[in-house]
Amino acid sequence: MSVFKRSSRDAMAGGPAVVLDANEPEIKVEHVSVRFDGKKGAAPVVALQDVSLDIRQGEFISLVGPSGCGKTTLLRTIADLQQPSSGRITVRGQTPREIRLQKKYGIVFQNPVLYDWRTVRRNVCMPMELKGVPKKTRTATVTEMLELVGLYHFGKKYPHELSGGMQQRVGIARALAIKPEILLMDEPFSALDEFTKEKLNEDLLKIWNKTNKTILFVTHNISEAVFLSDRVVVLSPHPGRVSAIVDITLPRPRGLAIKNTPEFGALVAKVRNSFEGV
Amino acid sequence: MEPNRKQDSNRLATFVWVLALILIWELGATLVAQTKRTPENVLPHLYQIVESVFSTKLVNGSQTAFQIVLANAGITLARAGIGFMLGAAIGFLLALLMNLMKTVEKIAFPYLMIIQMIPILGMAPIVLAVTKDIDKSRVIIAAILTFYPVATNTLAGFKAVPGEKLELMHVIAASKFEIYRKLLIPSCIPYFFTGLKVSAPMAITASILVDTLQGGGGLGTMLSQSLKHAMTIYVFWQIVFLSAIVGILSYHLMSVIEKLAAPHRWARKVKLDEPAQLDEPA
Repeated sequence: MSVFKRSSRDAMAGGPAVVLDANEPEIKVEHVSVRFDGKKGAAPVVALQDVSLDIRQGEFISLVGPSGCGKTTLLRTIADLQQPSSGRITVRGQTPREIRLQKKYGIVFQNPVLYDWRTVRRNVCMPMELKGVPKKTRTATVTEMLELVGLYHFGKKYPHELSGGMQQRVGIARALAIKPEILLMDEPFSALDEFTKEKLNEDLLKIWNKTNKTILFVTHNISEAVFLSDRVVVLSPHPGRVSAIVDITLPRPRGLAIKNTPEFGALVAKVRNSFEGV
Repeated sequence: MEPNRKQDSNRLATFVWVLALILIWELGATLVAQTKRTPENVLPHLYQIVESVFSTKLVNGSQTAFQIVLANAGITLARAGIGFMLGAAIGFLLALLMNLMKTVEKIAFPYLMIIQMIPILGMAPIVLAVTKDIDKSRVIIAAILTFYPVATNTLAGFKAVPGEKLELMHVIAASKFEIYRKLLIPSCIPYFFTGLKVSAPMAITASILVDTLQGGGGLGTMLSQSLKHAMTIYVFWQIVFLSAIVGILSYHLMSVIEKLAAPHRWARKVKLDEPAQLDEPA
């Protein structure tokens, strides 16, 4: 329930909109370390050690690495779900907390985290209710979002009636509904079968194309990261650190066929070879 | 259709159980009829009980046995109902308070358990002595029995909300009030109803028991009078069956209300297929 602690002050936040310099990175991660205290007497666990990273606006960036490399911790730190032990994160010139309170984040977890008592439409609608969006706009936006993720005809269904892939699409539609500046995705497709995952990968690129969001995508699947991203950040464990950043130079728009090209294979190999100490 | 088949087999199981119970009862009654002098005091045949329900014979000069039972059932069940609703409301509010404030949980929870451990028969005379009113006592005892299962189940419901759902609310900057309204309270509804289903029959039982303390009318009073042969024994048997039926119905009534409150539980369980491709927006 630690989530609640700071909520009472939420209403007071807000702050002016910041106009970004085109050259200024949207998200700046500077020398961030995260340590978790070990159980009684045990050494603290270093989840992230001195991580620095700049993310440009509109960029699709993936964090890849094996379990324990701190990729999820890094995403959670940017999302203000976790505080850095040292170092600083700046998002559009503000703290992650300020950005969160302005409702500029959209988040998708590994589980769809849908509300089973709400229909698909009302699930997508939920964040807009919190934001105080007028009802007419809400209805229009829900329709727009469901069309975007290809679930327009399933709006009246309940989550448990949908397949895993469809539930995850609802989660994406919900995250996009409040028009966030930054979409945070924490292993969103890792629980899905390979075919569904590839299909959703392709669809995610189409959605990204249409919406132009900055997407921070956490995955342990190298091929998925290479297929989706502009840049792949390779993290290595014990302690979690950035061991390489690989530019994905593949042309866009990308279709699944690109996976058969030698360039794709070379980039996958390059990412794989960047891991240290695994 | 998988869900239908399951429902059918459930119905069949219930039917077999009821049939077996009737069979055992009748076997017992036949045995008792051959060995006892007044078999209806021990175990009458089921048809004798049914017959007594429709009998037009006046038992106390003005009412038939069934009329007596119905008149007294009204008093008892109304009090049980009021106590039940009161207990449910208090239980829910208490769970909410305990979830909001850890200190309330720490202070209140041990006492709740102690109250729950005192047998009703021990507690009822105290309540009666304090209130000096059998009607208030019925309501209070029914409320005491109701609020504990409701409070504990609802609290468990609050605590069962997965962390990811709370984190989602956190990331989209929901206020505490919004988190309760949009997430925690809807999530705990099935748990709340589990509490109601447990306590509804208990509230009825408690109310009948409290009746027996004083001769002020009610099912319990008639029950003990009938057992003491102050009136026909069939009043006793009718009350036994009536309270059993009302107890079961009270449970099912809660299920029905729950389904009305949570329509998603009625939606079909069949998974739909992944759509072949993205709909292109018009």
